[in-house]
Amino acid sequence: MSKLAVDFHKLSTFTSMSLPLGAIFGFYLGYMVSFYFHFLTVAFLFLFVVDLIYRFGQRRHIILRNFGIIGQGRYLLESVGPELRQYLFANDYEELPFNRSERSEVYRKAQNIDSASSFGTLLQYDAREIKLRHSMYPVSREELKPYALRLGARDGCHEFVLTRPLMISAMSYGALGEHAVRTLARGAKMAGIVMNTGEGGYPKYHLMEGCDLIFQLGTAKFGVRHDDGSLKDTALAELAAEDAIKMIEIKLSQGAKPGKGGLLPKEKITPEISELRGVPMGRDVVSPPHHKECVDAASTVAFIRHVQEVSGVPVGIKMCMGSLDEFRELLVSMKAQQIFPDYISIDGGEGGTGASPKSFMDGFGMPLLPALAGADRILKSEGIRDRMKLFAAGKLINPHRQMVAMAVGADAIYSARGFMLAMGCIQSLQCGNNTCPVGITTHDKVLQRGLVVEARCQRVKNYVELTIHDLEQELIAVGCRSYGELSRRHLFVPHDSILAEEFKVEKSA
Amino acid sequence: MKDVISWILRVVAAVILGQTLFFKFSGSEESVALFTQLEMEPYGRILIGVLELIAVILLLIPTSKAYGAVLSTGLMTGALIGHVTKLGFAGEMLSLSILAGIVFASSIALLILHRNEVPILKDLFKAEGQPEL
Repeated sequence: MSKLAVDFHKLSTFTSMSLPLGAIFGFYLGYMVSFYFHFLTVAFLFLFVVDLIYRFGQRRHIILRNFGIIGQGRYLLESVGPELRQYLFANDYEELPFNRSERSEVYRKAQNIDSASSFGTLLQYDAREIKLRHSMYPVSREELKPYALRLGARDGCHEFVLTRPLMISAMSYGALGEHAVRTLARGAKMAGIVMNTGEGGYPKYHLMEGCDLIFQLGTAKFGVRHDDGSLKDTALAELAAEDAIKMIEIKLSQGAKPGKGGLLPKEKITPEISELRGVPMGRDVVSPPHHKECVDAASTVAFIRHVQEVSGVPVGIKMCMGSLDEFRELLVSMKAQQIFPDYISIDGGEGGTGASPKSFMDGFGMPLLPALAGADRILKSEGIRDRMKLFAAGKLINPHRQMVAMAVGADAIYSARGFMLAMGCIQSLQCGNNTCPVGITTHDKVLQRGLVVEARCQRVKNYVELTIHDLEQELIAVGCRSYGELSRRHLFVPHDSILAEEFKVEKSA
Repeated sequence: MKDVISWILRVVAAVILGQTLFFKFSGSEESVALFTQLEMEPYGRILIGVLELIAVILLLIPTSKAYGAVLSTGLMTGALIGHVTKLGFAGEMLSLSILAGIVFASSIALLILHRNEVPILKDLFKAEGQPEL
């Protein structure tokens, strides 16, 4: 071997041999020279024992069994790897799901600091990102029309008017701890936006702050279920009668785990959650992959109708797009029965979650932009685009991407992680372990102590205000008076971008 | 049951370690004589005293008990080496060495009892199927 390399196996053998020798040497010095040398003796004895345990007393770790105490170095380095990378080595544009640049934009907004930057863009400007096309003739600020999205304008329904285009996406009490839910709810109230309760059963903490709510009806129907998992109409009607509950959202699927039901790890199930959801403690709670009422397009539409009738409020569906053909089938069935949800929320496969099997998080679901563009196109081609609104969700934390989603077809924007970041999330990716260091996705009182509701709700409000301010600035620059005027004409789509394919289909149609 | 045994062992070790601190820090005759014999007077006496104090505190705090057990095992190993090589077992030294032996034994027992909390060894003893994420 001419390569200059360390033979770790030889090194580890040498180390293992030297430990007892070191102990003997220390003992000799301690006896002959000074008793202080016995500190050395004891240290070497300890390492010797540990080395013996690694090599002969365990069968779990190959590296430790083969290399002894030297092998531990690998595990030590590996265990601090994520932190080192995040703090020291990762550049501002390479972390996922949100890089430092994206996160700090949210942090700045949350702290009410303006987003002016210097010297030029730090992105690869000629790369494949989608850009907005500005107009040579921007509108003036006074010309902007106030945002108002009417939902549920049909017989027997309490209409609801959305007055701000940003909403807090579904996060249940269970996924979030009490402090986090209350911070978001209070911030939502202050900013006048709507918050989705998530599928966590009776939204006790969401209701405390008096903000407008969308109650999410998950596949397990927590909070409104019979024991066999079917819908308990009376419970739903009762909930919908609550003043704060403005809309109901039937969750068909979710971007982070399409094809799977919700998942709440057992670490996070407290006695209270077990009671609010009606589930046992000490076991992961896995929701069924679909509503038992929904087995095909026709029955799904019928179920939407049923929920609309029972609740008397606007009812939407949330789905991650699997196949656009299936989506068209659903729309055809809606037309046949003349029943339409009041909105459809398209969740991109890049959506976030507290816990999901990795293969589902990484490998299922259409990304948001092509899914949204496809949904918008099919709705138009079926001639029913005006019968329902489109919401978009999936990494929409910053104004640029939100604007692109609006131009592609969204009428309003859902974000969950944007609000978590605004509240104080540092992206340590521990949402499923009940060990969230900033007390957001944990029920540990000690960790939640740091998240002071009174102090943090202002950040949520700031984030909303500055984001909407940026959106309006963009709208002015594009030359539109309202989000409704936005269309694909306002997008510059490079030929290898994620939207290129969908745009081709549209042009040929 | 495990909790009770753990507390008994920790209190025994902490009390034995703790009561000698008074003699060490006040520079009592016996203590000074002992450390003179080891040629560690006076700094060694203070140093060992401080380390023992830390061990006592660590032993009594539930989250750090395993660390305390590691430290007191080390200290008692040193004490026993002292008895074997320099101090001997005659007269008063016999009772001192027996006390050191008791602390050593309870510390080892604590290490075994709480093996899944001992630094750098703990993940060897966690139940399979519950990897640390």
